[in-house]
Amino acid sequence: MINCRISKDRMIEALYGELGPSDKERFDDHLRSCPACASEYSAMGETLKLMDKRERPDPGPAFWAGYWDRLSRRRLWEATEEGRRPFLGVRLVRLFSRLPRWSYQTAGAAALLLVGILIGSRLITPPVPVSPSTRGAVESGAVVKAENYIERSKILLLGLVNYDAATEDAYAFDLGGKKTMSRELAAQAPAIRGALNERGQKRLRDLVSDLEVIMMQIANLGSGQDVEGVELIKQGVDRRGIFLKIDLDRMGRDARGPVDPASPAGESKLPKTKKT
Amino acid sequence: MDESTIIEGMARGDQRAFREFVEKYKKKVYYLALDMAGNPIDAEDISQEVFLKVFRSFATFKKGAKLGSWLYRVTYNACIDHLRRKGNVPEPVGDDVLDSLSQGSTGLPSMPVKDPAQSAESNQLQARIASALEKVSPQEKAVFLLRHYDDLMLKDIASSLGLSIGSVKSYLFRAVRKLQKELGGPAAISGVEASHD
Repeated sequence: MINCRISKDRMIEALYGELGPSDKERFDDHLRSCPACASEYSAMGETLKLMDKRERPDPGPAFWAGYWDRLSRRRLWEATEEGRRPFLGVRLVRLFSRLPRWSYQTAGAAALLLVGILIGSRLITPPVPVSPSTRGAVESGAVVKAENYIERSKILLLGLVNYDAATEDAYAFDLGGKKTMSRELAAQAPAIRGALNERGQKRLRDLVSDLEVIMMQIANLGSGQDVEGVELIKQGVDRRGIFLKIDLDRMGRDARGPVDPASPAGESKLPKTKKT
Repeated sequence: MDESTIIEGMARGDQRAFREFVEKYKKKVYYLALDMAGNPIDAEDISQEVFLKVFRSFATFKKGAKLGSWLYRVTYNACIDHLRRKGNVPEPVGDDVLDSLSQGSTGLPSMPVKDPAQSAESNQLQARIASALEKVSPQEKAVFLLRHYDDLMLKDIASSLGLSIGSVKSYLFRAVRKLQKELGGPAAISGVEASHD
């Protein structure tokens, strides 16, 4: 016969059916003779049954279907200068934290000398323009981020516009979750818009702006199900031709070529990544 | 493509093997991140970070180890890092402390179980469960999620998260007790606890 202490130690294994036959028999014997442990075991079992009723919100087929594309775009973005920047920053901080004090003084003097040489050379020779390939790599970071933003917003909007209050359960609609997501997306938009500052990125920037406004509207919907508010947003999406703009953006992206690193074409388009 | 083929392919840096790997595990990684981080935007970010990290550092994957266990560990660490950046994760408790804690108990209320018939009630139940899970520490939550929803055995959770089985049991025990407390009604089992030990 086991005591209460051992019984408690084995309770989790018993609840999840991980006790061997002899241990289980001893555990059950103890429960039959100890109402306190039996009650505790039963209460924990009831909690687990209740937790079985938990539902995880499914982001939907559009989310899963586009997962690989979004991951590929992020990989592409991380391969750009912009994507690597934080990584380099962390490495530099680590490097400097290990250096002795005298090296800072030497480095400072060298930096001053370098600045002097740079200013001097600029005064003598005109600056060399940034090569198109370098600019493209930097640009693509902002564009890839914007495209991921658009894709995420599209998934959210699809869930919203496809909702029919007349035929669907308002409680299963999970407006609260959509509001949280919209708030996050609205918060990300200014940085994404700000990075799209090159000529030729105006259409993309405008689309992000449009989406930002809609995300703010969704985030500010009233408490409860706010069916009227949802309808107004659906009309706004329709009026602004958001899905048409997203599709046009997508078509433009497709015309530029695949981003799928799994495809041979996609692989050849990827800049070389730094191995860590 | 079976797991050994995926592992061999990824070791060679094969993009198709990587894609197969992502397709196979994306839901598990995403949902663990969603449960840990609490919002879908962060969950997707974390899950993408996990896959990219796995791909970049596949050379550190030990031959003969379980790919799933390794992935859970990377995901768990990414979630903890994310929560730490947001400033809402306490320092983990040592194994010895956990082992001793698993022997003790606290007075917690019992729990009335209602079967929700209406969708409004069901929605309310989901909100209660979500709120209860928020009260559980990230370490306890990860262990609970992996055991309860991903059906990992205690020893597999221990190897995935780099913990002892005793610690896994302690985290799980504490998680269930906290959930019981949060989901419970007014009726308490303090009388039962008083006679215990």
